[in-house]
Amino acid sequence: MRDTIRFLKGGQVVELENVGPTETVLDYLRLRCRQTGTKEGCGEGDCGACTVALGRLVDGKLVYQPVNSCILLLGMIDGAELVTVEDLALDSKLHPVQAAMVEFHGSQCGFCTPGFVMSLFTLYHAHGQEKSRKAVTEWIAGNLCRCTGYRPIVDAALDACFDAADDAFSWRANETRELLQKLADSRDVFIGESDSFFSSPATLDGLAALYGQHPDATLVAGATDVGLWITKQLRDLPKMIWLGRIEGLERVESSPSGVLIGAMATYETTEEAMSDLSPDLGVLWKRIGSKQVRASGTVGGNIANGSPIGDTPPALIALGTTLELHSSEGSRALPLEKFFLDYGKQDRNSGEFVTGLFVPRPSSNQAFRCYKISKRFDQDISSVMGAFRFTIDDGTITDARIAYGGMAATPKRAEHAERALTGALMDDPSTWGAGMQALLSDYKPMTDMRASAEYRMETARALLAKALMEISGTAPDEIRVLAIREADNDRAA
Amino acid sequence: MKFEEPTSDNLFDRAMVIGKATPRIDGPLKVSGQAPYAYERHDVVEDQLVGYPLGATIGRGRITAMDTEAARNAPGVAAVVTTLDIDPLEISSFNNARLFGGNEVRHYHQAIAVVVAETLEQARHAAEMIDVTYEEEEGNFDLEKAWQNGLGTDEADAETGNVDEAFASAEVTLDETYRTPDQSHAMMEPHSSIADWSDGENMTVWTSSQMIAWARKSLAETFDIDEDRIRVESPFVGGGFGAKLFLRSDAVLAALGSRAAQRPVKLTLPRPFIFNNATHRSATIQRIRLAAGQDGRLTAIEHEAAAHEFEGGGNEENPTNLTKLFYAGANRRVKHHDVVLDLPESSSMRAPGEASGLMAFEIAMDEMAEKLGMDPVEFRILNDTQVDPMNPDVPFSDRNFVDCLKVGAERFGWSDRNRKPGDTRDGLWMVGHGMAGAYRGAPTLTSGARVRLERGHLTVETDMTDIGTGSYTILAQTGAEMLGLPLEQVTVKLGDSRFPASSGSGGQFGAASSTAGVYAACVALREEIARRLETDDVRFEDGNVIAGNKAIPLEEISADAEITAEDTMEFGDFQDDLEIGTFAAHFVEVGVHAATAEVRVRRMLAVCDAGRILNPVTARSQVIGGMTMALGAALSEQLAVDKPRGYFVNHDLAGYEVAVHADVPDQEVIFLDTLDPAISPLKAKGVGELGICGVAAAIANATYNATGIRVRDYPITLDKMLDRLPETF
Ligand SMILES: Cc1cc2nc3c(=O)[nH]c(=O)nc-3n(C[C@H](O)[C@H](O)[C@H](O)COP(=O)(O)OP(=O)(O)OC[C@H]3O[C@@H](n4cnc5c(N)ncnc54)[C@H](O)[C@@H]3O)c2cc1C
Ligand code: FES
Ligand code: FES
Repeated sequence: MRDTIRFLKGGQVVELENVGPTETVLDYLRLRCRQTGTKEGCGEGDCGACTVALGRLVDGKLVYQPVNSCILLLGMIDGAELVTVEDLALDSKLHPVQAAMVEFHGSQCGFCTPGFVMSLFTLYHAHGQEKSRKAVTEWIAGNLCRCTGYRPIVDAALDACFDAADDAFSWRANETRELLQKLADSRDVFIGESDSFFSSPATLDGLAALYGQHPDATLVAGATDVGLWITKQLRDLPKMIWLGRIEGLERVESSPSGVLIGAMATYETTEEAMSDLSPDLGVLWKRIGSKQVRASGTVGGNIANGSPIGDTPPALIALGTTLELHSSEGSRALPLEKFFLDYGKQDRNSGEFVTGLFVPRPSSNQAFRCYKISKRFDQDISSVMGAFRFTIDDGTITDARIAYGGMAATPKRAEHAERALTGALMDDPSTWGAGMQALLSDYKPMTDMRASAEYRMETARALLAKALMEISGTAPDEIRVLAIREADNDRAA
Repeated sequence: MKFEEPTSDNLFDRAMVIGKATPRIDGPLKVSGQAPYAYERHDVVEDQLVGYPLGATIGRGRITAMDTEAARNAPGVAAVVTTLDIDPLEISSFNNARLFGGNEVRHYHQAIAVVVAETLEQARHAAEMIDVTYEEEEGNFDLEKAWQNGLGTDEADAETGNVDEAFASAEVTLDETYRTPDQSHAMMEPHSSIADWSDGENMTVWTSSQMIAWARKSLAETFDIDEDRIRVESPFVGGGFGAKLFLRSDAVLAALGSRAAQRPVKLTLPRPFIFNNATHRSATIQRIRLAAGQDGRLTAIEHEAAAHEFEGGGNEENPTNLTKLFYAGANRRVKHHDVVLDLPESSSMRAPGEASGLMAFEIAMDEMAEKLGMDPVEFRILNDTQVDPMNPDVPFSDRNFVDCLKVGAERFGWSDRNRKPGDTRDGLWMVGHGMAGAYRGAPTLTSGARVRLERGHLTVETDMTDIGTGSYTILAQTGAEMLGLPLEQVTVKLGDSRFPASSGSGGQFGAASSTAGVYAACVALREEIARRLETDDVRFEDGNVIAGNKAIPLEEISADAEITAEDTMEFGDFQDDLEIGTFAAHFVEVGVHAATAEVRVRRMLAVCDAGRILNPVTARSQVIGGMTMALGAALSEQLAVDKPRGYFVNHDLAGYEVAVHADVPDQEVIFLDTLDPAISPLKAKGVGELGICGVAAAIANATYNATGIRVRDYPITLDKMLDRLPETF
């Protein structure tokens, strides 16, 4: 048992005995260390002004990831290297990304700048990125700037971030690796008392035992949801169990039959396997949150959180995913859609936690599509999320799995539409109308600030049409919009 | 110094430093996290406590009781000040909603208490414990209803010719209504202050303000104390866009907390608090009527609009202002209704009036061009004017709008634009092209500065602020130019009420006015040096002063003691007989998804006419920053009003959606090589607000061009088009 956390900062090992269960990295930096270069613009993961870099060993390699320090718990940097904007300049010589930000005028009021610099720092250290505007844009989507209009920042990134890293961090990479290896241990971490603690078990059994003892504790994976409970909802969360040090939980295993995803696998680490399952999943994954959110946030957390507008559940349900749960009583598995009981309510027993999920690979006669609709392209919550898997034999749909987010209190399958589309012909849009019509009986969406009920319904139907049109591939140019009209006519008739 | 007549040829016409692309001199501080913003100035005063605000959770009514006992006894709490504890504070001449005091609640999230404690957590925790009892009253939160009732009532604000007759006899007319929503500045740095009023006598406020002199005056009026006892500092400002023009509750609460706790207090407004506690741009509803002959010449223009304001006024969002000036046309009537609503206070946001006015007016121009069967670029060229159309005796000082249009059309490839909805396709995206014109006035305000020359190094001091605009850099460039010094030999100190009062930053007046102020101070310094050399024929070059045929290093002149000079530039009445403005043409390409109606902007071009460009790097950034903000306004930004309860629902950066990188396409800005001698000795007008003007309409017009669907109600979201997508193409 260890009652401290340890991390690297500025080449030195820092060991802290005093770590509050809800203390954030940002507060640690600004309040305890008086290092105020890292800014707070929102305190809820939306703006990126608080971005810092975390260095960790991945398969023995040192990898730097951008994270939002405002919603990252201090205990979660155990075993990592923490890099902030103050650490980059050497004596008074600016780091190459800092120099480029000055040269290309990527900073105006400057408040967003330290966050951008840190995001770019991680891009600078990412190997083998394709040098393109698009790649830069994706990388820094989690950093808002209200002054520059972004282009100067993208220019700075293109100039500075794509050569081999040559800075103090690359020079001492070997040393850093050794230090990080030394920090890695397999002791449970427990800081605090039995009624208020931050803990981080090193094994699954340790977790099962601890959580069994404290079923009222908060489990935390990437903290991209839990962080907001602290900073925005101001919830009192005295007992915190972080799952980040349990060996094996971060696994991502691809096989011909599908992909096994451990509960600590992040969006980042699952992206490749998911793109490989379906290009649509790849696109979806890239549009979840931001680089920072994807570096910390887990697929398991997205599911366990149970939000009706979480992006992955509809897609994973349509694919026929099974969820694995574990507790000191043992393990069980269930179809993902069965996990979501009602708004805010999931099928999870006291002391039980998610260990992973299995996502079947679509077979050769199955076509899969999923679409996220939101106002902004990135960093936005879906108003409607639709996912579709059709099994097609000889041009006829023999099985349909359709699931939507944002249409009900939980991610939910469209059972009427699924039935109505079974038997529909891919090359005859007139056979699709019944399915589109059936959506009306599958959902009673609600109106909120993000979208009205009519808008959600209209969009849900448009997405189904879009999926069918794309999959049918029959002269999509002509039929693409007509199909919606035809369904309308059906309804009128 | 007084600017009495248009500038003739001067040293800026042979500039060495001004007009050169110079990266901002404060850049290194900012990229390394060393620039000190208000909330982190731990070094300026010891023993700082942390304050946390509490906001009202009703839109209108009164507070009958507040139970603060638990909060006062909570750990770490040094003081609790509630709005019931003190008399209503004065409403300063720059404010309309009262910032604190008394039992009346006039808007949602009005500050009603501040808790001061040793740590933020303690203050926040204690603030949560305060129990408030309200007596809620009905409020009026519905602009639409007010518009329906007010339409057609009241006298015109301005009228020329015979509008009704012109419409009656016109060959082609248009009559449409447009809507723009409430918008938030959403600058990245929240309102923050550290206040030291420990002794209840002298007050120092380290804050984030665009206008130092106004902040000081407002503090004096609010607390009824002498201005001399107040010091305000704001050297770095994390964005403003109008949000930080006027005193806000952060400084007031910090000051009250400091007086109560007898220690300095720092306080930042939590992001979710800002949207309803502070100010925003008002929504507008605008009816625009246009009349023209078949030849395309506008014969009549009528623009009637409504926006909402807090009781007492203060809202500058008058969309009809520009209509008086932008296009030719003999008959014209404009009318604006300021509707009093009980929503939080509406106030200035980047290009108040023009931004929302052009969002509507430039769609109307597009619609009219279509009715006339004309190219919208040609239509605008035809209706250009070189004089104030309502006062033809008043000419524009320098207006090159037609050149903006022509250069833009050429560079954008306007002649190859999409002609019919659905004609141009890129896969599943329908491609459309649109354009719009832009106009924004170029005001100036009195502006002062002090300069010190010591061992050849020049220090410029003025209370001017740099809110991201580049003031540090352009003022250094101005000083360097005037004294013939390299840029490295100039230091600029800003944002301190101990320095001479400047124009401050706002209304697109900052750059033009403050550089003129530094010019004036430098002229005084040059005169002082000449006096010491007993000559009046001096030049300043390469670090030397050249008197006759003698070159004396400035280092030598100021070796023993510093030479200082101070002056203020005032702008003469001759400017009143001219219209001084800035102009632009915007060209946009969008893609609209054929199945989902999502709009993505693909390409943007701006061509600007703003006089001399002092620094192409900072100026370009200002314009593309404005274009990006306008992109948000066109497609996603909207504060949603809860009409029964009277507040903005989406009060955080997740719900109020500003554009992110991926929304922003390839953007290009071209500055016309123009000079405006009537504005200042530098012949340079502002660009900071021009960039947001007209852009949203260009996007709307491009969307129409792609789909054939006219959306007149911003933001242009897919739900407004989804059921009307073209059937065949
Ligand atoms: C700026 C921002 C943008 C976002 N954008 C999106 C988006 O586009 N789409 C989207 O779907 N979501 C989005 N989110 C929400 C969030 O990122 C996701 O829900 C994420 O997947 C949560 O994962 P996490 O690891 O961070 O979970 P945590 O916050 O650590 O936990 C989430 C929940 O799951 C529980 N939990 C975690 N692990 C387990 C486990 N193993 N067993 C049982 N319970 C567990 C926690 O107790 C908590 O209830 C966004 C969040 C932010 C801050
Ligand atoms: S402060 Fe905005 S993301 Fe952290
Ligand atoms: S520079 Fe001001 S927000 Fe980016």
